Amino acid sequence: MLINDYSKAVYNIALNFFADKDIAADVTQDIFLKIYHNLDKFKEDKNFTAWLFTISRNYCIDYWRKNKKHFLSNQELDEKISGHDQTPEDHSIRESEIVELRRKIAQLEPELRVILILRDIQDLSYQEIASKFSIPEGTVKSRINRARLKLAQSFVRGDQ
Amino acid sequence: MSSKCKEIENVLSAYLENELSPAESDRITRHLAACPPCRKLKEKMEEILLRMADLQEDVPFFLKNRLFNIPEISEKKHAAKIVYFPKWLAASIGTVVLFLNLFYFTNIFPSVNRELHSVVGSVETFVVRTGGWFEKIKESKNLILFTFFNKKTTESKEGKLNSDFNLNKELSKGGRNG
Repeated sequence: MLINDYSKAVYNIALNFFADKDIAADVTQDIFLKIYHNLDKFKEDKNFTAWLFTISRNYCIDYWRKNKKHFLSNQELDEKISGHDQTPEDHSIRESEIVELRRKIAQLEPELRVILILRDIQDLSYQEIASKFSIPEGTVKSRINRARLKLAQSFVRGDQ
Repeated sequence: MSSKCKEIENVLSAYLENELSPAESDRITRHLAACPPCRKLKEKMEEILLRMADLQEDVPFFLKNRLFNIPEISEKKHAAKIVYFPKWLAASIGTVVLFLNLFYFTNIFPSVNRELHSVVGSVETFVVRTGGWFEKIKESKNLILFTFFNKKTTESKEGKLNSDFNLNKELSKGGRNG
């Protein structure tokens, strides 16, 4: 069934895109609503996962753009909080690392974010990503490299 | 940052995924050994890639429940669409009625006005005729009913008279006996 097969993938895209579990749940629900309403428009000869990932990507980017101000102010607030109040006792090390990594991913440009999530979290190949979004494989590779580089640089800056 | 460092940055992912030629890969390894900032960046990127798998999470139970309820919600929305009245139809009917009134009561287009009046006249004639037929049918219906009703009343009157007569007869008999 549709939900059993694809809900994890869609939820993980949203979760790592927004770094917020509540927003991820709402966005996942909205994406599935959209999928159900547009199922009759889907042509059977086309790749279903590609269609689903395109809807998910477009919805996440649109949602982020519409609420950009809110997300940016929240990110600034999170940075202030993590800089002062967070102690190792509050969370386990692994949990805090995950939260930190998600927050850094959420600060990347939306286009880079989606591709990075699909490649490094969902484990899709470059070729699969390229065919799903109809972009050249070279573009996917350069975007992934750019996203990883930005992430690594932000961590290096944080360590210093 | 040297131009070499910039060059390394552009191929760092490919280097970590062993997608470069052996010669190019060796060149980068040599640079990384000699350049601490680039080495640190490479180590950080490796660390991030290792941690990325931990970012996968299962869908929470409450969300699965919400998702399984979606088909019902969409069906309800479709059901609501069936009773939807098309606004364009109402608007066009309203416009036609408005223009007919305008042409009927004003003489902007005399030919249209005349045509409309003749149509209304024939409708009136039809109504009067059918009204006459209705009157006739109504009358005949009353007649039929009257016939039945009258029959019933005459029958009941006859019955009453008979019973009165019998009663009087018995009373007179009793009077004689008593």
